[in-house]
Amino acid sequence: MWALSRFFNKILYLLQETGLGLRRGGWLNWAAVSTLLVLLFLVGISIQLSWGVDATVQSLGGQLEISVYLEPERQAVDLQPQVTQLPHVAEVKVITKDQAWRTLLLEMGIEDEEAIQTQLGDNPLVDAMRVKADSTEALGEVAAHLRQLEGVDQVYYGDQVVQQLAQIQEMLRLGSLGITGVLALTAVAVITTTIRLIVMARRREIEVMQLVGATAAWIYLPFILQGCLFGVISALGAWGLVLGSQQLLQELLEKLIAFPFLKVIQADSNQLEFWFLPLMLLGMGVFLGTSSSLIAVRKSTSR
Amino acid sequence: MISQHLSYKPRFHSSWTAIASPPTLPTQPDPGGSLGFYGSSQTRATQAVNSMVSLRGVSKVFPNGSLVLRDVDLEVRPGEFVFVTGVSGAGKSTLLRLLYGAEQATRGTVVVDQVCLFSSEGRRPYRIPPRPLAMLRRRLGVVFQDYRLLANRTLGENVAFVLRAQGLSPAEIRRRIGPTLKMVGLTEKRDRFPHELSGGEQQRLSLARAIVNMPVLLLADEPTGNLDPENSLLVLQILERLNSFGVTIIMTSHDPYLVERAGHRVVRIEGGHLYDMR
Repeated sequence: MWALSRFFNKILYLLQETGLGLRRGGWLNWAAVSTLLVLLFLVGISIQLSWGVDATVQSLGGQLEISVYLEPERQAVDLQPQVTQLPHVAEVKVITKDQAWRTLLLEMGIEDEEAIQTQLGDNPLVDAMRVKADSTEALGEVAAHLRQLEGVDQVYYGDQVVQQLAQIQEMLRLGSLGITGVLALTAVAVITTTIRLIVMARRREIEVMQLVGATAAWIYLPFILQGCLFGVISALGAWGLVLGSQQLLQELLEKLIAFPFLKVIQADSNQLEFWFLPLMLLGMGVFLGTSSSLIAVRKSTSR
Repeated sequence: MISQHLSYKPRFHSSWTAIASPPTLPTQPDPGGSLGFYGSSQTRATQAVNSMVSLRGVSKVFPNGSLVLRDVDLEVRPGEFVFVTGVSGAGKSTLLRLLYGAEQATRGTVVVDQVCLFSSEGRRPYRIPPRPLAMLRRRLGVVFQDYRLLANRTLGENVAFVLRAQGLSPAEIRRRIGPTLKMVGLTEKRDRFPHELSGGEQQRLSLARAIVNMPVLLLADEPTGNLDPENSLLVLQILERLNSFGVTIIMTSHDPYLVERAGHRVVRIEGGHLYDMR
């Protein structure tokens, strides 16, 4: 009981002193929080982006399908047996130019059967095949064989896209690392300055406290807590911004990069991954805030 | 109004000073080593077991090379009232600062209330770690010539600040403030701010702050330095009242009139040496 009330005394004291520190800080608090918030927001966004790119790369890698477009006068059915006999080919699916045209027209919203019939007369498409390989590694080999076949005009499969995505991934990683490093330094500098100014403003009180036997922890814990609080507030704000800007980011991505299939991952709140980002932001914020205030008070801990 | 709280009776020679002057050193070393040493064992310091303050061969040289104290010995027994006199700059403040750990001796041994603050007797000089120092300071009271009050806090808060800093509960703090302010005669001004007080009142407030934690040793650095004779006497009366409760008091002063009038033990610092005057 006694220990409990002493514990609450300490908590109460800590909160009161931290509150006092925040009041003393005034606009400096805002400077510290906003710097940290921008940093955490950018970190959050870039993490989400790289997760999206990772997921896209993975899903593309899983599609072991090669699209083969034939020369205009060729019939896919003629080539099918030849293709089936190629090594590592698992499955061949023929798409005639009529089928393709019909699908296209339907997708374009022309549903009138007669209109389709008349339109089919001057079909500009060519016959195509979807070839599945038995493994991802064999994809390149199969594609090479297909290119050599007579009557084959073009062969597409995911490798270019995967390569481009990998490049984007790399750029994203480097860019976010650089920005994070610079901003983290800025945040530490701003928080350290803020806390140090508050310590200076309370120098007299700290002097008296030291004189009457307050322990260093008792004197400086409120300042540490204040830095920690900066981190928590910034992390919460940054997460809110990340959530709020997801839609915007998705649209921006589609416009900027011609990858409509590139998704910003929107995890379900029931999933564990959903909580990974906020926890990570929180951890980073608390770490930066706390260590900055530690740096700030370390120099003033004299006797 | 103030005299209601204080019954001043001049005491020309306390029983303690009669015993302690000249200071006799306990010759029996304490075998158990009950001193508040933290990881060091200095044999000479164990002689300080019955002293409130024990300085042995203490020298203090400032980084700029000026030698303030030269091989100083001082024993103060519990319950003593000691005046430290000397001209300005003689090292009176430095002596007190050594006692509450704000300054470190260059050589010698400093023991306060059975806690060793500094000792150069071991192979490596021993210096008290921060936490034990904080714990020792909780048993000390310190008063300054310039009061060192917190301007943006009321009288009550100024006194409560000490107890808050030591982690006491709000209820306990409330319980202690009343009697303390009463002791220095500032009960009615509890909610005023320091700048609304006269110099004498401010000094009494700083006295209240120093005694609210019920110290065993009160170090007063020129507490009357800025005050007129009347207020000086008032402060002295409060200190003597505390002393009558058993609080050891070491007070520096360059006011010969006050020192003469009080009639307590007097030590004088001159040229870095300490002389027992009375």
